[in-house]
Amino acid sequence: MPLDTSTYSLALLRLDGRRWNELRRTHAQISTQAAADGSSYLEMGNTKILCSVTGPHEGRASGQRGGANGRAKMEVEINSAAFSGTDRRKIGRGDKRTSEMEHCLREAFGGVVLAHLYPHSTITINLNILSQDGSLLAACINAATLALVDAGIPMTDYLVACTAASSASASAADNASADDPLLDLNALEEQELPFLTVGCLGDSDKVAVCVLETRVRMERVEGMLAVGIEGCKRIKGILDDVVKGYGKRFG
Amino acid sequence: MPPQAALVNLSPAELSFLRSTLSQTPPLRLDVTKGPRDFRSMRAEYDVLPSANGSARIALEDGTEALVGVKAEVEKTPQTPVLGEQDDVDMSNGDEHSDGKGQGQNAWVQVGVDVPGFRDDDALPVFLASMLAESLLASGELKDRLYINRRFHWKLYIDILLLSPPLSYPLGLLSMTTHLALLTTHIPSLKSEKDEDPLFDDDWDAASPLYPKSTSKSSARDKPPVIILAIAVGPNIIFDPAKEELAVADAVLAIACTTSSSSSTGAKIVSIRTIDPPSHLTPPAVPNSMNSATGGTAPDSSAQALTMREMLATSGVWTPPRGGMKRGLVSQVTKMVVEKGGVAEEIIGALAGIETG
Repeated sequence: MPLDTSTYSLALLRLDGRRWNELRRTHAQISTQAAADGSSYLEMGNTKILCSVTGPHEGRASGQRGGANGRAKMEVEINSAAFSGTDRRKIGRGDKRTSEMEHCLREAFGGVVLAHLYPHSTITINLNILSQDGSLLAACINAATLALVDAGIPMTDYLVACTAASSASASAADNASADDPLLDLNALEEQELPFLTVGCLGDSDKVAVCVLETRVRMERVEGMLAVGIEGCKRIKGILDDVVKGYGKRFG
Repeated sequence: MPPQAALVNLSPAELSFLRSTLSQTPPLRLDVTKGPRDFRSMRAEYDVLPSANGSARIALEDGTEALVGVKAEVEKTPQTPVLGEQDDVDMSNGDEHSDGKGQGQNAWVQVGVDVPGFRDDDALPVFLASMLAESLLASGELKDRLYINRRFHWKLYIDILLLSPPLSYPLGLLSMTTHLALLTTHIPSLKSEKDEDPLFDDDWDAASPLYPKSTSKSSARDKPPVIILAIAVGPNIIFDPAKEELAVADAVLAIACTTSSSSSTGAKIVSIRTIDPPSHLTPPAVPNSMNSATGGTAPDSSAQALTMREMLATSGVWTPPRGGMKRGLVSQVTKMVVEKGGVAEEIIGALAGIETG
């Protein structure tokens, strides 16, 4: 363990000074790149993502140009910059974690985008991770949502995501308030606590994405999910303000 | 030099028209508001990444965007065994190796270019990276500054990300972004002495810039080089060509320059290269005289076709240029770049203005 979050129970403050239910500073911009059909830039704390969407367009000449059953094909490419982490690390194309995230995004947005409107075509989402500090998958989903909105691709609702963790530990069992679920993790907390990424459809409680890769006791999951969904609603509000603020410039 | 992969979809007639507008005096560029020496307008910012030693982002008006992150890591210098007497590792007060003059190695600077749609080992990214590395290492001052002591050195990773598809030949943009990133790169200041294991000051305010600001007003500050692209079309020289302008260029020159401290010129040339113009790959037009459908005679053999094409040189029918550049033209370009108030000085000054202003 690189560090100890057991100090949480002392003052109920996390490593970066947040309370259990506070989001990091989330800032977003859309239409950042003139050359793309849709683009966005999203910061969740020190996690910074640049996303560009191309399409719907005729896919590459080789292979199937559109998806099956007269639906558009979603393509997701995640590129993690070598300087994004603390140490420089070049991540190749075939990295397992990256392709797993790509798959997750492809499946999630395949269900939200009204793909049947664009048969025989491809929608490409390109994500550039410029700086990573936890909640990577959640930030990728949020950035991709904004870029898809900017590209004018019809979706049923915003797909927003957030992470939540369980801070409960055996040592803090006597202090009931110390096993709060935590919202929106940074990289240090992610390394230490069991956490899940949850993605919701807009303001609703409908969960579209739920990724839990760490071991956690069953009875904690419900609390984590509830906090995560609550966080998604707040993020939806932030993203909605970004989109509306951008729309006002043309109003 | 590998030719460019991305080509414009222009017909021979369009290419011919473009070429004739660019070769008249004064040349009429694709973007008619621009003169031959004007660059595309850009938005630039620096220090955009919290986890890098230096970073910069430049977006051009046509949507091409590049991001550069510079990271420095301490690395152990491999000790090569030498025959004969060896001087021991220096922990005492001798100060012969303290400045690192001539101690740097080219391998201490690593440049990586990432272009969307290209693999890492494709010709374009590899070629761009080696061009940029070559110009950075040419002066030898940068690698000497990476020397810590005889056992350790800084390894400088310059990662260049092209965020948009390469709409025009991106060398100039990448080089300007790298310039700005290096200008704002800081490395932690050293607390340990001599050949001890390096220990650094953890106060970022005490970090020293990789390219130190000059103390006196008279001597110009040492700056990283900038690569400037110039094309020749007929007698005209045009800087910062757009993609379509590259498609009709006779020759393309990439000139890397930096500020000069001593000479009377505004800048000095660090390296110069010609780049294979993509115009070689454009399809030639078929003139009426070679087209049997319009009353001409189609050539029987390729040799005959060649001689017939030879005679069309000035007729306005599009023939891809065969490359080559007159020596006079090369010297004219270099003069325009390095002279006082020339293109290089203008660009370096503008980029310095972003950092200070």
